[in-house]
Amino acid sequence: MLTDKDRIFRNIYGFHDVSLKGARTRGAWDHTKVLIDKGPDWIINEVKASGLRGRGGAGFPTGLKWSFMPSDKRKEDTGDKRPSYLVVNADESEPGSCKDREILRHDAHLLVEGALIASYAMRAHTCYVYVRGEYIREREALQRAIDEAYAAKLIGRDNVHGWDFDIFVHHGAGAYICGEETAMLESIEGKKGQPRLKPPFPANVGLWGCPTTINNVESIAVVPEILRRGSSWFSGLGKPNNTGTKLFQISGHVERPCVVEEEMGIPLRELLDKHCGGVRGGWDNLLAVIPGGSSVALVPAHECQDLTMDFDALSKVKSGLGTAAVIVMDKSTDIVKAIARISYFYKHESCGQCTPCREGTGWMWRVVDRMARGEAEKSEIDKLLDVTKQVEGHTICALGDAAAWPVQGLIRHFRDEIERRIDTYHASHREAAE
Amino acid sequence: MGLFKEIFCWWGGNTWGTRLAIWRQGRLVGEDELGNKYYEQKPGRTGPLGRPRRWVTYKNLSEASLVSPDWHGWLHYTHDTPPTKEDYRPRPWQKPHRPNMTGTREAWRPQGSILAAGQRPKATGDYKPWTPG
Amino acid sequence: MTKKLIVDGKEIEVEDGTTLMLACEQAGASIPRFCFHERLSIAGNCRMCLVEVEGMPKPAASCAMGVGDLPPNRDGSPKKIFTKSPLVKKAREGVMEFLLINHPLDCPICDQGGECDLQDQAMAFGCGGSRYAENKRAVEEKNISPLIKTMMTRCIHCTRCVRYMTEVAGVEELGLISRGEDAEITTYLERGLLSEMSANAADLCPVGALTHRPSAHAARPWEMRHTESIDVTDAVGSNIRVDSRGAEVMRILPRNNDAVNEEWISDKARHVVDGLKAQRLDRPYIRRNGRLEPASWSEALAVVAEKLKATAPDRMAAIAGDLAGAEEMFALKDLFSRLGCRNIDCRQDGAKLDPKLGRASYIFNTTIEGLERADVILIVGSNPRVEATVLNARILKRYRQGGLAVGLVGEAAALTYPYEHFGNGTSALADIAASRHSFADKLKAAHNPVVIVGQGAAARADGAAVLGLAASIAAMAMAGKDPEWNAFSVLHTAAARVAGLDLGFVPEGGGLDTGGILSAAFERKIDLVCLLGADEIDMAKLGPTFVVYQGSHGDAGAHRADVILPGAAYTEKSATYVNTEGRAQMTAKAVFPPGEAKEDWTILRALSAEVGTTLPYDTLTALRASMYKTAPQLAAIDQAPAAGIDGVVALAKISGQVSAEPLFSPVRDFYLTNAIARASAVMAEMSALKNSTMAAGRQAAE
Repeated sequence: MLTDKDRIFRNIYGFHDVSLKGARTRGAWDHTKVLIDKGPDWIINEVKASGLRGRGGAGFPTGLKWSFMPSDKRKEDTGDKRPSYLVVNADESEPGSCKDREILRHDAHLLVEGALIASYAMRAHTCYVYVRGEYIREREALQRAIDEAYAAKLIGRDNVHGWDFDIFVHHGAGAYICGEETAMLESIEGKKGQPRLKPPFPANVGLWGCPTTINNVESIAVVPEILRRGSSWFSGLGKPNNTGTKLFQISGHVERPCVVEEEMGIPLRELLDKHCGGVRGGWDNLLAVIPGGSSVALVPAHECQDLTMDFDALSKVKSGLGTAAVIVMDKSTDIVKAIARISYFYKHESCGQCTPCREGTGWMWRVVDRMARGEAEKSEIDKLLDVTKQVEGHTICALGDAAAWPVQGLIRHFRDEIERRIDTYHASHREAAE
Repeated sequence: MGLFKEIFCWWGGNTWGTRLAIWRQGRLVGEDELGNKYYEQKPGRTGPLGRPRRWVTYKNLSEASLVSPDWHGWLHYTHDTPPTKEDYRPRPWQKPHRPNMTGTREAWRPQGSILAAGQRPKATGDYKPWTPG
Repeated sequence: MTKKLIVDGKEIEVEDGTTLMLACEQAGASIPRFCFHERLSIAGNCRMCLVEVEGMPKPAASCAMGVGDLPPNRDGSPKKIFTKSPLVKKAREGVMEFLLINHPLDCPICDQGGECDLQDQAMAFGCGGSRYAENKRAVEEKNISPLIKTMMTRCIHCTRCVRYMTEVAGVEELGLISRGEDAEITTYLERGLLSEMSANAADLCPVGALTHRPSAHAARPWEMRHTESIDVTDAVGSNIRVDSRGAEVMRILPRNNDAVNEEWISDKARHVVDGLKAQRLDRPYIRRNGRLEPASWSEALAVVAEKLKATAPDRMAAIAGDLAGAEEMFALKDLFSRLGCRNIDCRQDGAKLDPKLGRASYIFNTTIEGLERADVILIVGSNPRVEATVLNARILKRYRQGGLAVGLVGEAAALTYPYEHFGNGTSALADIAASRHSFADKLKAAHNPVVIVGQGAAARADGAAVLGLAASIAAMAMAGKDPEWNAFSVLHTAAARVAGLDLGFVPEGGGLDTGGILSAAFERKIDLVCLLGADEIDMAKLGPTFVVYQGSHGDAGAHRADVILPGAAYTEKSATYVNTEGRAQMTAKAVFPPGEAKEDWTILRALSAEVGTTLPYDTLTALRASMYKTAPQLAAIDQAPAAGIDGVVALAKISGQVSAEPLFSPVRDFYLTNAIARASAVMAEMSALKNSTMAAGRQAAE
């Protein structure tokens, strides 16, 4: 349970003044110069020591990611004159996720400050924030915050921090795939948002061929606080290897769906009971939970009893923490139809570049859709599982994996439900035939 | 001449046995435009199919395709109304019946056959020669 | 830097930048692929080339993964790659299954059947049956070109065509729109493909989505016999493969030659095939009472021989056309020199090229492959895009690597790469030659400068002077640099020109050149003219002269002729053609000439016997042996020997008055440049389309 004194996002609900003045009273932009003067190496080491893992879904250690960017010395040795870039991923299109919009709306100054510090650490003078096309008011709020920061000379040329820094808001046009880091780079460059092949990794060849790091909004926004309070404070929260706080977004069949900042590793039951008023109809009414946005496999109720919300525990139950967008489903849910709708999302959002995703997402959706009606054969369940295995791991980007996992989760935990439906359908149609 | 042919070249037309059976058991139902006569067994008698038999005797050559289409249905027991009893009016576009012409000069030949008239079909190697003027 | 790898148990050593796919192929493993093509950028989107790498949880796309990108083993041992493991087999079956679920069952009606990558790889790597029970998607048909037939439902979205049109043809006309299942390849709205080498995209397409419209539903690949030959529709000498079935040439495909045309041919080279079957001269004709009447060979030859015997040597002339092979030009020159006539010319466009100055003065010295090393190019009086499409693609290839500056003096045109335009007239040339122009400094500072001179500059009244200026610019640019590099390059438009110049098929010792022949004929000073396939001269200027036309197609020359001797087209004879680089290449006989037509050199040999000055060779080999004595460079088949700079220096010495008239390319219509193209219905359609598109564009601009 996170105490108020450990909270990073102190205005996540927008109860307080979102302007620069209000942000400053809450601690933003406090002695940022001191942090910067400690040097890029210190910053990167602190972030590494804090154990911060990427908050965008993949959970890659942020400090390690920053260390891949070329340092001044490395650029000098290799004669590399390319500018470095930071790109902030505010393309929050993962179904269930709604944390970044709260940060953009209410705590944007944390993001701007974090972007400055992160850019300084990776020797970048320019940052692009890629905001999802559907987030219009959020983009405006972010732009207001950026304008305020420019006006106060906190960022821009010849700012008070001694590191020239420009931050630009780029808005998307409604494609989930642009949340994939290399697709985002393509989109910023003005091309179609189709992911690139990795290697080369963005830290080598990124935006316009220059070294680039892409981080999630939350990952960047927590950095100033970590540096101010110390990495050991952050690593003291949560669990080993899954440190710090996280913005959880709980939606679905709970009494009070909400976004809440909590400690990593909080038990799921505690999260739902304390902050959301519990599962609708009581804990025993729980059917399944999708713990990290639609890309991860669902966790059935019997595995949720002692489940803790952190990367490692969830991957042990063959799911994942993802963006911590908890979708709670109670026993009134048509689980197969729910997964069918999720499959449709992936089919719709596939960019069409590589074969398994382009063809496979459509195939999986059609089969799961038929299974939701029961219009299938029992042998097709294993066939569908085989198809998901053919898509997973064979694609250019992770959308293929993200499309395969929900279906795998469904088959793994609710095979009998699918079979029951098939039996019902066949029974009713046999009657009709006779 | 017809009787002579029937006696000594009996295979081309109606046999004596047919004539006898038809005279004893059959009654004339009608005649078509080519001169073929159609008979049915007298009422009370049945043939091997359990119903009155129907015969055709041809005018000249015994060739099954000489049966005209209006009598064909009746002859093959498809229906029971002979054309003499029905009130079918032929359409203006109907052509006269043409029997199977195989073996005759008017037989159908595939396109390009040297027995057929007309141009040979396009072949590999055809070219359009230049001609002056 | 080399790296060691163990592929399927076999240890190999490869250069650091190599991709896994090339490394595996080096080790002998064959990797299936759809989107990868050696001459295009890497896309990595078909996922068919996946291989298993030890230590990596996911299989790697071998076409994109470089050997150096693999995370090294902790103990430094070479990385193990598996191409035949169960994971790889399952991956290939999976990808193949996915490709086939939306692919229509068109094999029986699809032109690609028999040469289809999808068929071949499904047989080799697929799983044998389909498990898909849903509806297949269908894509609307589009009409993008008279040359390319599209059935986009068959498309597997490998994007080879998109990358080809952008990177090689230089026109960004094809793109992938929409996303996911609805992705389709299309052109811009109401626009087709406007490139002179667009048809190569249909070659690249691994399935039957893009096929060749003119040869649609004509023949299956296994029915046809393949003959390796050379294209003569322009002077590039693209290597082609002539596919024939029986007596008919069904289609022409490119052949790989990295030095000349890589893997591409222009649309004209490919689709003149139907011109080979139209307007053919298949029997001799003799004009009696003003009308051409068919005749027999003995009659026709007798008439010509009589006329030759009766005419004084200085009152007869011979002009060789653009499609004449070296053998027949040699035979004709031999015959005429035995008759004592010096009025022979192969330069029917009046180009002021003189073989006496040296070979380097009339060939593309830089070589086509050499263009890839150029850094500054000056183009004089030429539009390489329509004159030598594949050569232009090579310049574009060099441009895309970065650091190429191109300047153009002459008619401005869209060349697919940007260039600085220095005016339509010749004034800029004089300025550059005198180092008064900024481009002169660029040329002097360049490591590998190139000066490309087209026939638009050479075939003018002041052609010699323009060539001299260009040669002096090249000499100035070459001074003090690598002696192996020759900057002066003449771009020809006719396949027969360089061979003619090599053989010396030019007037010597007071003979008349083409212009002289025509004016003398008009003034009745010439009684007999022999045209060896020369249709591009102005027949009206021939006046009342007795014209003997020897050629394969009934074009302007046949209409004017008094005797027509039917010859063979380039697919019907074995002949030597020298391309603009001076590379001698030989065609091969794919089919027999139609009707009574004969190979050209045999006609001249027979004629010589009738005339009484029998040529001393009875076989093609004997003729070639004689020919090589005159022009030994013709014996070096497929080689482009360097000609040195003497010719350039000699040409640079020529100076004269250069007129201010604008320079423009001699090719006014790309699709109708020779008699075979003019006989082709496909070329006529393309020409009409191009003209209407340009007219619409001009109207829109106004």
